Order: sequence, then C-alpha cells, then structure tokens
Amino acid sequence: MTDRFSQASGTSAVGGVERRSTRSWSGVAWPTLGVGAILALVPLWLGDSRVMMGIAVLGLAFAAYTIAFNLIFGSTGQLFLCVGALAGIGGYGGAILADVVGLPIVVSIALSTSAAALAGGLLSWVAVRRSLGVIFTGIVTLIFALTFENLLLGLGELTGGESGFLMEAGRGTFLRSQIPPYYLMLGMVLLTLFVYGSLRRSRFGWAFRALRDDEVAAELAGIDVARYRIFAATIGAAILGLAGALLAFTEGRVSPTTFGFAEVDVVVLVMLAFGGIGSFLGPILGALTFTVIDELLVEVGQLRVFIYGALVIALFLWLPRGVVPALDDLLRRRRAGS
Amino acid sequence: MLEVRGLSAGYEGGDVVHDVDLRVDEGEAVMVIGSNGAGKTTLFRAIVGLRPASAGRVHFAGDDITGSPAQEVVRLGLSFVPAERHLFPRMTVHENLALGAYPSRPDPDTLTMVFDLFPRLAERRRQLAGTMSGGEQQMLAIGRALMAKPRLLVLDEPTTGLAPKLAAEAYEALNTLRGRGLTVLVAEQQVPLAMALCDRGYVLEGGAITKEGTSADLADDPEVRRAYLGVT
Amino acid sequence: MTASILDGIVLGLQFGLLATGLTLMYGLGGILNLAYGQMAVVSAIVTVSIMEAGLPVVPAAAIGIAVGALLGFVLDQTVFRPLYSLRGEARVLLSLLLSLGVALMIDGFLNWLFPLKGLSLFIGGGAIDVFGEPMRRGSLLASGITIVAMGGLVAFFRFTTLGRAVRSVIEDEEGARLVGIDPRKMLRLILLLSGGIAGLVALTRSMVAPVDVTAGFGITVFALIVTVVGGLGSITGALAAGIILGVINAIAASAIGTFMSLVILLVAAAVTILVRPAGLLGVKE
Repeated sequence: MTDRFSQASGTSAVGGVERRSTRSWSGVAWPTLGVGAILALVPLWLGDSRVMMGIAVLGLAFAAYTIAFNLIFGSTGQLFLCVGALAGIGGYGGAILADVVGLPIVVSIALSTSAAALAGGLLSWVAVRRSLGVIFTGIVTLIFALTFENLLLGLGELTGGESGFLMEAGRGTFLRSQIPPYYLMLGMVLLTLFVYGSLRRSRFGWAFRALRDDEVAAELAGIDVARYRIFAATIGAAILGLAGALLAFTEGRVSPTTFGFAEVDVVVLVMLAFGGIGSFLGPILGALTFTVIDELLVEVGQLRVFIYGALVIALFLWLPRGVVPALDDLLRRRRAGS
Repeated sequence: MLEVRGLSAGYEGGDVVHDVDLRVDEGEAVMVIGSNGAGKTTLFRAIVGLRPASAGRVHFAGDDITGSPAQEVVRLGLSFVPAERHLFPRMTVHENLALGAYPSRPDPDTLTMVFDLFPRLAERRRQLAGTMSGGEQQMLAIGRALMAKPRLLVLDEPTTGLAPKLAAEAYEALNTLRGRGLTVLVAEQQVPLAMALCDRGYVLEGGAITKEGTSADLADDPEVRRAYLGVT
Repeated sequence: MTASILDGIVLGLQFGLLATGLTLMYGLGGILNLAYGQMAVVSAIVTVSIMEAGLPVVPAAAIGIAVGALLGFVLDQTVFRPLYSLRGEARVLLSLLLSLGVALMIDGFLNWLFPLKGLSLFIGGGAIDVFGEPMRRGSLLASGITIVAMGGLVAFFRFTTLGRAVRSVIEDEEGARLVGIDPRKMLRLILLLSGGIAGLVALTRSMVAPVDVTAGFGITVFALIVTVVGGLGSITGALAAGIILGVINAIAASAIGTFMSLVILLVAAAVTILVRPAGLLGVKE
C-alpha cells in the first residue's frame, strides 16, 4: 500500500523522488527557503488579529506533525496512529516540567522532546522486534494513543483532567505575544522541513526507495531495515514532541483535545492525503491548505466533519498520491504542452 | 467433455503455459505428465477458473467456461482437487465433506459412497481436518470433490507429499471411481501410477504440449521412458 | 465485588457480541471497519427517531436493526467496492482509511442534524436479585437478548450450510471457491449481519446506559480491543475476550475509576498483541 501512495512521480520537488543531484543540498535548501519566505509574510496579512495568528501557529504545528507523520509512515511504512499522543508527550511534558517541577523553559522543552523521541523510538523498536505489519503497528500505536488520552484524564491532579491547565511558565514573555510565536513556530517548521528533505537525499532516503521497491532485495543489499525504521520513528517523534511543546508554550495551555486522536491524528491523515504521501513539499502544502479550508468551513459547524470524511474517501480512492502532486503533474504537463 | 483450445496463461510477467490444446472425452481418464515447473499447475488452474487465461478457450460439457470463476465451474460438474488440497483445517471431516455438496445438503448416498471408498474418513468423521496425516488429507480432498457429484474430476498431483504406499492407495481409489464411469483428468509426476490409470496422456514441457498419445504409446516412447520412467 | 463482576459480565456479553461483527469482517474480507461504532449509533438514532414519531419500541427497534444491516450492505456496494480488487495488507490498510472516512461522515452528519439525540431504553420494574445482588431489569433483559443472539450466531455458524460456508471462506478462501462458494457473496452477507449485530448491541446497550450521537468512536475502539485480544477472525475468541475484558473493566472501574480502568484494558490489549499476535484463541497465520 505504501508504494501505491508514494509512487515516484518523476523529478518534481513536490511530487516525489528526486533523481538528480542527490548529493547537493541546494535542492533542499532552496525550496525550504522559498516556503519560509512566503510564510514569513503571513503576519503582514493576518498580524492584526490575535485569533488569526493563533490559527496560523496551529497550522504550522500541524505542518510539522504532517511532515513527521510522512517521515514515519510515508518513508518507512510504519503506520503511527499516535501523532497526537507523541506531540502530547512534548506538550504536557514541557508544561509539567516547567510549571510543576519548575525547570527552565528551554530545558523543559528539550527534555520533553527527548521523551517523545524515546517513546517513538521504543514503539518502533517493539514493532520491528515483533515484526508487526502495517496493520498491527497501527493498532498498537492507536492503543498507545488512547492510553495516553485516558492517562491524561485519569491523572487529573497532575494534568488537570478534562479541562487541562493554564500554564504559568512563559507568561509575560514573547511566547505569549501576538506575532513572535509565529516566527518561532515557522523556524521550527523550516528546520523540520530541511531535516526531512536532507534525510530524503541521504543514504537513508536511498535505502528506503530501495526498500519500497523490494524489501527482500534491499535487505540482501545490506540495508539494515530495522535500524532505519527505528531511526525514522525517533526523528519523527522528536519533531512531534518539539512541535507539541512549542504549541503548548505559545498557547499557554494544554488540554486533552489539543493532542487527541480525533483532533490530531485524523486531521493529519487528511492533510497528508491532501498533500501526497511520501513527497517532499506535499505534506506542508497539504497541512497549510487544509488549515485554510478548515477556517473557511468553520461556519458549517459539524457538517465540516462530514465533508472531511467525504474528502478522506475521495482522496484515498481517486488521488492516492495526493492532491498537491496531482496538481503539480497537471501544471507540468500544461507547461510542457504550451 | 472437456475441450481446451490454444490456452495460454501465466503471471503478470508473462505466460507460463503457451497455446495448449487438450481434450478429455466422456468416461476417459487422461493424464498430463511433466517435470516440476513444466506448467501443469498453471494449466489446471486456468482450466478450472482459479487463474485467468490470457488466450484460448475452455469448453466443458457444451458450455464455454473460459473466464468463469472456479465457484461457478464446480456447479457445472467439474471438480478440482489442488495439490495443496485447500481443506478447511479447523472443521471436522464431516463438515468438510458436507461443504463439498454446497449449496445443497449433502446427499446421503454420495456420503456413503465416499466413506466406502475411504473407510478412514468414516472412522475420523469428527476429527479436525487440520490434524490429519497427509494421506488422510488427500483422501478428504478427493472425497470433498466427489460430494459435488462431478462429471469430471481434475486432480493436480494427488500424490504430492505422500509415501509410496499411500500414493498407490490414492490411485487405487481413482481406479475404482473410473470403473464406475467417472471421467478423470490428472497431472502427475509419478508417471507409472498415472499410466496405469489413464487411457491417454499429454507431455507438458516448458509450458507447451510436446507429445500426446495413448498410455501404451507413451510408455514405448524412448524419450518419455528416459525422462519420466527412469529407464536409461 | 459480586456486583462488579455481574456488571462486567453484562458489559462483556455485549462487547463480545459486538466484536464478532468486527472479527468476521476482518477474517472473511480483510476489512478493518472503523465505522463499526457509527453503524451502531445510526441504529440507535433511527430507533429513537421512530419512537419519537409515535411507534412502539419493538417495531422501532426492529427497523433500527434493519437500518444497521442495510448500512452494512450499502458500504459493501459503495465505499468498500474498490477494496475487493486489492489483496492482503493493502486491502486492510485501505479499508481502515476508507472506513475512517465513513465514520467521520456519519459522525459529522449526525452531530450536525441531531446534536443532542441519544437512545435510552428504560426498562421499568424493580431490581431482581442475582446471587444476592440486586440487578436492574434493563441489565438482565439486555444480557438475555445478547445471550440469545450469541447462541443464534454460534448455531448459525456451526449447524447451517450457509454458516459453515462463511467459516470456510475464513479458513481457506481458495478451498471455499473450489466447492462453489462465492467469497464476495459471503462477505456481503457478513457486512449485512455485522450491521445488524451493531444495531442490536446499540439497543441492548441503551437499556443499561444511553447511546448518543458521539458514542461511535468509543464503541469501535472497544470492539477493536476485544477483537484483537480474542484473535482477529475468531468468533469464539471474540465472545470469550468480551466477557474477560468486561469483567476486568468493571472491577477496575469500581476500584480505580473509569479512565484508569480503560488504561488497564488498553495495556492488556497491547500486551496480548505483543505476546500472542494471533490473539487468545486465534490461530497463527
């Protein structure tokens, strides 16, 4: 299935695998800077509204989630249905370490990010050790996500239960101002994008393209599949933890729904379906497009969920490679035609 | 009764079986012999509708069954016993046999006939199929196929994995069935057993029919003797 | 303690029955249906809507169950159709994604149209003593109906030709085709049946606690846990795991609270998968 979603589509930066100049970093740096330059302009447009900036920050967090999920699922075929939970380890972990334990904010973020990375690496290690297939990995990680959610609710004294808690740490700093958090988040997303792009072009990316074509052959060629899987899950989970922690500190509160399965994982799946599994810029474009759509549809209330459901079905049935790569293909064909 | 014309079949990469012509008349027993990998299994699977044919036609008892799925072909009176048997391991012998008559209820006379043919099955009717020996499983697979009251029984290497004595027993049963007028088409590597059963035969090599003739003719053919009868 | 165990059995019976639907869809067709809980919710909402229109409970419930079954049939004919050209893991994965889409559609639609609706079948009359513990009539009736339905299912799979045919496809699809069984038809039957099971469980559940429009995902998760612990594709495993987990859940809930008891269930499920991937009663692939 992963190869059905991630078939290479020529040499497009959006669509798929880069075949040219695998050794050059510029192929990653330029698109990353381009995306950064465009996104850096967003506050000029929305900067007046605190609400809109909050949504923009959330959109960036989801962009990071989607890139991380794409790294874990799209590149290495591990269906991690615990995106929200791993981000929640970063978010709740950071909040608790800073507020309850009293550690400095930077230390709290570093520790909670490491905890998320460790959790992701462990989940992957278990999946690899027990040779769980895509489906069982999905079920085990879903169970992990639900366990995390119920722990948040059950350990109310520490986590604030259903309503979560407002954070003291960071109050009065730039983290709670209107525009700077956006740039902090943007920096994180660009870093994530760069790391992801570089990985794709490294021996790692090469190994996984080989793997996708033929797992047995790849193993025979000396690619240590297990090690790459665990590595990808650890990096991906670290990205998730960091994004979750930054989101918590900029929002100034944590709650179970910020990191819930229905609120995060389902949305990330839609975003990735939109952006194209396995592509480089697809996930971030998918996440941002979807954030805008979500905002436009806010008026239809619950019907929004209905539309997303229909979208998920339509995307996976008719555009399994994603809307963004499909559009990219279309544009290329036009340009070639004219 | 069965007429195969120009049949080709295989996998996505390419055909394994090329342009095969083959016929089985009513009341006949016919064998397809060939070495491992000659394409016998692919040919049979294409005939019975488990695998699509890329070219050619298959007619059975006046119907064109090319491309008909296996579940429809069996209703027309063509039962197939695959080499891997494909029994229902967590069901009893009796349940396996009963399903052979699907969608009807099992006919008591047919059931008695099967139990007469294979008394071992009668003794073990409550045992789970998956716990039986290879020989018993082969009996059950044949028995299950007979429950559908086929007009043509097609068997793919019924002796796979059987000790010589059990292989001979299986052929004895087939001989009995022949004597009652059942038409049989069998693929076999253990050629002497098949030759004793069958009137005619085809030699399949590299996916194509290279020789055909009566069993006696084939037994006299020097190449067949060398390749399949172990005579040097 | 006795009270908790009895409550656990009441819950466990229902989830055991619920899980048979999920396990059959998986075992027979490689379909992991994440919209299963929503099928149950649709039945509940249809039933309550018909009752509000003035019909008595029994015909309303019958229609509710029929609509659940119909929904299973409709899924087979529409969204799931593209699955049948896929095999193995690809089919399971796409079924998971597509049914997630269906679940969102149903959830969104119901929450939009009937945000406050829920089914609660109140069974009147005083408590009845069971092993010295007073049990509500609703719980007893729900358990009675569930046990009868389970007995019916087991008898169907054991003794009828059609039931055996369904099992044969789970055991060996090619073998089933060779005796003339069409796996697609059996799958259609199972989707119909599992929709009906989901509907029935929603109704019996509502005799104990309300089933509202948001209940779908929770029901799916419970059914999934029970299915996985019982062994994907195993009917008896699902029934046994339902009761075991129901009792564990009830005891834990009374001792340490709802959320933490769920944590215990989830951990138990995770451990089962890791120690015995085929489930308690499943067979190794």
